[in-house]
Amino acid sequence: MTYKIQIDDLVRDATDEETATIDAQKAVFATQAKAEADKAKAKAALLDKLGITADEAALLLG
Amino acid sequence: MANTQTTVPLFVANQVLTAAQQNASAGTGVPVFSTSVTRDAAFGGSNKALAEGQLCYLESTNVVQYYDGAAWATVGPTTASALVLVKTQTIGTSVTSVAVTDAFSATYDNYFITINGGVGSTDINLSTILTGSTANYYQGRFANTYSTANVSGGADNNGSSWSGTGTANSSTIFFSMTINQPFLAKYTFASATYYNTTAAILSLNEHRVNTSYTGFTIGTNGMGSLTGGTIRVYGYAIS
Repeated sequence: MTYKIQIDDLVRDATDEETATIDAQKAVFATQAKAEADKAKAKAALLDKLGITADEAALLLG
Repeated sequence: MANTQTTVPLFVANQVLTAAQQNASAGTGVPVFSTSVTRDAAFGGSNKALAEGQLCYLESTNVVQYYDGAAWATVGPTTASALVLVKTQTIGTSVTSVAVTDAFSATYDNYFITINGGVGSTDINLSTILTGSTANYYQGRFANTYSTANVSGGADNNGSSWSGTGTANSSTIFFSMTINQPFLAKYTFASATYYNTTAAILSLNEHRVNTSYTGFTIGTNGMGSLTGGTIRVYGYAIS
């Protein structure tokens, strides 16, 4: 995929090095987003299993 | 001799206009100067003898000032506690990142950055870096999910960017950031608020480097591209 880089009013195609950097960021972000989504899903599932809300859980834990 | 006017001349036909009268006329209007330095030099520097109430306009700061007998005071517009537009940048078509140069300077310590309008090619998470630096980024993110009111978190721990500072979708771009002391050779810190289809998000950011930066780059994390919209950078006036 060709990425376009804008610097002020100049728009150009990304260099090979910039493309590699963006692809690396993309992979990192995808991993990060999945981990955060999994964590949120697990938290919601636990609360659902316990039959309480997040606020109630916070109260229980003091 | 101060340029105080002692009379308001009323000329009659065939009267001689003297050099003194012409000088008084030229020196008592609202002269325009590029800076306070050129103004002071034009009025005679340390030897200046100005009437109280003498006016001037400074192009560098876009203010009208008056001489109070000892110093120049600003009439207006006042710059105290104001946001001053520093730079405007229109986002191009289908761009993966946008670098804004010459946004930060010694004039301001703190800045407010917004994007209005524009769209994303898909649902995109926007990252931000201080242009030229790709390490030492720390971030705490807090997302409050609309449907459950549950708060979930995420973080960058010495990352290559502040990975969550905005979002974009097919309707608009969400980007609103306050950034503190980017131009000072100190740690930079920032807060951003944004939204996605399921949550409202706050991100608190730190860049742990004692370096001065003049610009920033907003990126799409390779998730898509941005088209249109206007980036505006405002400086918080120091006064």
